[in-house]
Amino acid sequence: MDDRDRDRDRDRDRDRGDRGDRSERGERGGKSKRSFRVTNEKTLVIDYKNPQLLKHFLTDRGKLVPARISGLSARSQRQLTIAIKRARLLALLPYTVT
Amino acid sequence: MSTATPGEVLSFRSRRGTKREYETVMILRPETNKDGILDLIYRMQAVFKNTRAHLLKIDNWGTRTLAFPIKRCQKGIYMYWRFLGGSDVVAEFERNLRNLDVVIRYHTVKVDDDVDPNARPSEVTEEIINVVAEPLPEPEEEPMPEPSDDDAMRDDEYFPEELQGGGLGGTGDED
Repeated sequence: MDDRDRDRDRDRDRDRGDRGDRSERGERGGKSKRSFRVTNEKTLVIDYKNPQLLKHFLTDRGKLVPARISGLSARSQRQLTIAIKRARLLALLPYTVT
Repeated sequence: MSTATPGEVLSFRSRRGTKREYETVMILRPETNKDGILDLIYRMQAVFKNTRAHLLKIDNWGTRTLAFPIKRCQKGIYMYWRFLGGSDVVAEFERNLRNLDVVIRYHTVKVDDDVDPNARPSEVTEEIINVVAEPLPEPEEEPMPEPSDDDAMRDDEYFPEELQGGGLGGTGDED
């Protein structure tokens, strides 16, 4: 039973290879070629009083960058989101850039 | 142990004698002069005295350009307050801030819980208050990047060119 399942999975992967993965088909969700990853997350001090650091995690329109791009862990991304929202409240960062 | 007035309800934490540490960032009107800031500081110190709290630290970040106008003000004087008090001090503190016209925005954050007040004495003196009340010039700030016309959610637009392949805490992956 396990061998048959394994063979079926292998065939499924072979079919997908003919079509190309999602990034090659132009769909969203594929790995970005120009993605940025924060590697020393432990040294990162996320503070709402430091807009110079926080603005690196905003797009040019002032939107929050998702974790799959910033490379932060889920916990750090939550802390970052809270810090940015506090900074926006205090007009240290904009809500939107027009 | 903290002492209670007759009829006052004490929480378990207040019976232990520990307090909470808070920090407040407030924005004042840009035309506020030294006398206005001194009046604000003395009013808030009276509030702290009534609520058995004490000011740990106070700082003046100077006049900054706001990211968006608040109450038709393009600039504001930022002040940073750090104080120690019970759970009731924030409500009274913010109530007084709300009544003042010179304060246009404030935000309080709890920093720590169960802090021994004897281990955190006040660092605020009259000399520090006079220095803080002096209006400071506006610091030089980097301008926000110009927005692109296309607001598509593409990865290429997430970071400026100078951060590609390096930046905060290490290097990025190069494909």
